[in-house]
Amino acid sequence: MALRLENVSIQLSGRPLIQPLSLDIEPGETVTLMGVSGSGKSTLLSHVAGDLEPPFTAMGQVSLDGVALDGLPPEKRRIGRLFQDDLLFPHLTVAENLLFGMPRGPRPERLAKVAAALAEAGLLGFGDRPPNTLSGGQRARVALMRALVAEPRAMLLDEPFSKLDADLRQTMRSFVFEHIAARRIPCLMVTHDKADAPQSGRVLLLREGRVNHA
Amino acid sequence: MSRLGAVPLLLLWALPLLLALAMLLPAALDGAAWRMALAHPQLWPALAISLGAGTVAALIATMLSLVLIAGFYNSRTWHGLQALAAAGLAVPHLAFAIGFGFLVMPSGLLARLLVGGEAPPRWVTVQDPWGIALTLALALKESPFLLCAGFAVLSRGDKAGRIRAETRAAASLGHAPGSAFLRVVLPPLLRELRWPLAIVFVYGATVVDMALVLGPTQPPTLATIIWRALNDEDPATNAMGIAMTLLLTMALTAALGGVALLLRAARRGLRGLLTAGPSPLRSPRVLATALGILALAVLTLAILVLVILSLSPRWPYPAVLPPAASIAAWMNMTLAPLWLSLALSFAVAAAAVALAVLWFETQPPARDRWVIGIALLALALPQLATAGGQYRLFLPLGLTGALFGLFLAHLTPVAAYVLIVLAGPYRAFDRRYVAAARALSAPPLTAWLRVKLPLLKAPLSTAAAIGFAVAVAQYVPAQLIAAGRWSTLPMEAVTLSSGGNRPLTAAFALVLAAPPLFAFLAAALLGRPRWR
Repeated sequence: MALRLENVSIQLSGRPLIQPLSLDIEPGETVTLMGVSGSGKSTLLSHVAGDLEPPFTAMGQVSLDGVALDGLPPEKRRIGRLFQDDLLFPHLTVAENLLFGMPRGPRPERLAKVAAALAEAGLLGFGDRPPNTLSGGQRARVALMRALVAEPRAMLLDEPFSKLDADLRQTMRSFVFEHIAARRIPCLMVTHDKADAPQSGRVLLLREGRVNHA
Repeated sequence: MSRLGAVPLLLLWALPLLLALAMLLPAALDGAAWRMALAHPQLWPALAISLGAGTVAALIATMLSLVLIAGFYNSRTWHGLQALAAAGLAVPHLAFAIGFGFLVMPSGLLARLLVGGEAPPRWVTVQDPWGIALTLALALKESPFLLCAGFAVLSRGDKAGRIRAETRAAASLGHAPGSAFLRVVLPPLLRELRWPLAIVFVYGATVVDMALVLGPTQPPTLATIIWRALNDEDPATNAMGIAMTLLLTMALTAALGGVALLLRAARRGLRGLLTAGPSPLRSPRVLATALGILALAVLTLAILVLVILSLSPRWPYPAVLPPAASIAAWMNMTLAPLWLSLALSFAVAAAAVALAVLWFETQPPARDRWVIGIALLALALPQLATAGGQYRLFLPLGLTGALFGLFLAHLTPVAAYVLIVLAGPYRAFDRRYVAAARALSAPPLTAWLRVKLPLLKAPLSTAAAIGFAVAVAQYVPAQLIAAGRWSTLPMEAVTLSSGGNRPLTAAFALVLAAPPLFAFLAAALLGRPRWR
């Protein structure tokens, strides 16, 4: 599975915001797109996810594993997303949050997947707790597991570490990238902090609407 | 600032309400009144009709509002729907009930449009024994209130952004819009709507003015029986009315408690539904559009039929339009009730906003829950209880029949609405703006007038408009406290609707509907931001 952007450009009220951009992301690879705030990098992610809203418009083609995604609503794209905030649903417990996006199936099977995900996140026994009783780092891990148990075919990360404490950042970074790499799915991350990027991945710079290799 | 800022609100609003409720206590212990109430031959059937009408109306209004919200949430029609709901909210219940009655009665516009024939159909569509007309009118008229309450939850600053972000997260987890709404938006929405829902239920089960126009007569609703008893000259009958009011209040409390227990029992099943996993459920756009157009059509036709009737002394069946127009009804109108209602409502709304602002400016936010609690009590209790108690409180003080008594009685519901509407936006105001103004060497009053007031003008003008509309529409407290010495718009409209002069009744219903509409228009203009 590869995530492919072909000549994707973004306009704000008809004026160009991002010049045509082509990009291939291989399974298991994480590409980092860096840019200052207001450069349009999060808007690009919204377009890939399928929830670009006016006054923004986009042109070009986004495809996943050779299948064009354009026109597909976000819920049909099976693209996982991490946001700046963890956005755990406050009215659901941790386990219920994990069940939320998990494909339907026999209940025991789904519960087993929840238990496995909690174990992976080092949160065994936290399933019945409301999200607001967890620490920031724990919530961030649940948010990642929630996205992954939905069995996404690609991941989008929108400054996922920017609201974490400095010491938490390092552990969370490796936690996120290890899990995404283990699932062999392509991942696109936008950030304004070079330190967020994984050690070996490609880093692109978005500046005044143009993308260059760092 | 001074703690004394709380005094005016407590003295003029909280105290008259709480003392009024205390006045009901002696009546609760009056054995003779209870015996008389329980011996009333129509008590139980009337109670059944009241509870039935209140329950069914609340259910229909809830379903209608939730379908509309679900269908148009995050769509381009969202803002248009908000404007329509505000317009619907502005129409007083009584004016709508009169228009609805003229619309559906056998010789009404509906029969002329749909049935025709030589003579009016033999259907009983007004004051029908099952209370169907009352229930439908209530359901339609309460929907805008629930819609506005829902909009307030879903467009309130931080919360709105958070819920929108959560629906985006739900979509990234594979949930179609309908599923995301059901599982992410609806649970917090219903939690926030529990008070508005309770208010709608109690209102429907205890409404007097609408029941007098549209409700059944043999037996009538319990509220109607109570209303006649409270207005009786015989003190023993008055006491029976109070006892019946307490009985009705207890029945409503028990019903609401029952619903709460049912929901608690169903919680496990509901949670299972929440976490069943992604589903391709779409948002009910088509159903919402159809229902929205239907509701809007009935509201518009009810007003339209008032306009037609007010201009036609003669309207033979089955003509869709009257043969000739005449402004006789408009010329024959006594305008004293209009001037009194306008002056009184303006004074009450202005006082309510001033008292609320004084409270918010001088009291710490932690104390808000006390006044909000009293406000919810004022709105969730039947008006027969609050106004009935106030009558007993005001009588020995010489306030019945006095303008100041009328002012206080109107202030009870008006200040309650103003406080509830204003609390959120007022407390959400970012105090750093005032701090910044002060740092630029503006004195406190200048900072308030030139920074805080302009930034809060939208919620302040909305609160004032709602207060004004609520004040204009008051019937029960007005009739009780006026003691025959004053006449306001709703009092006049109820009197006219029981007489036979249809053009004059219609004209008066329109006069009753106009001031709130203008108030909301003025608020929309005043509250407009300088730019978007």
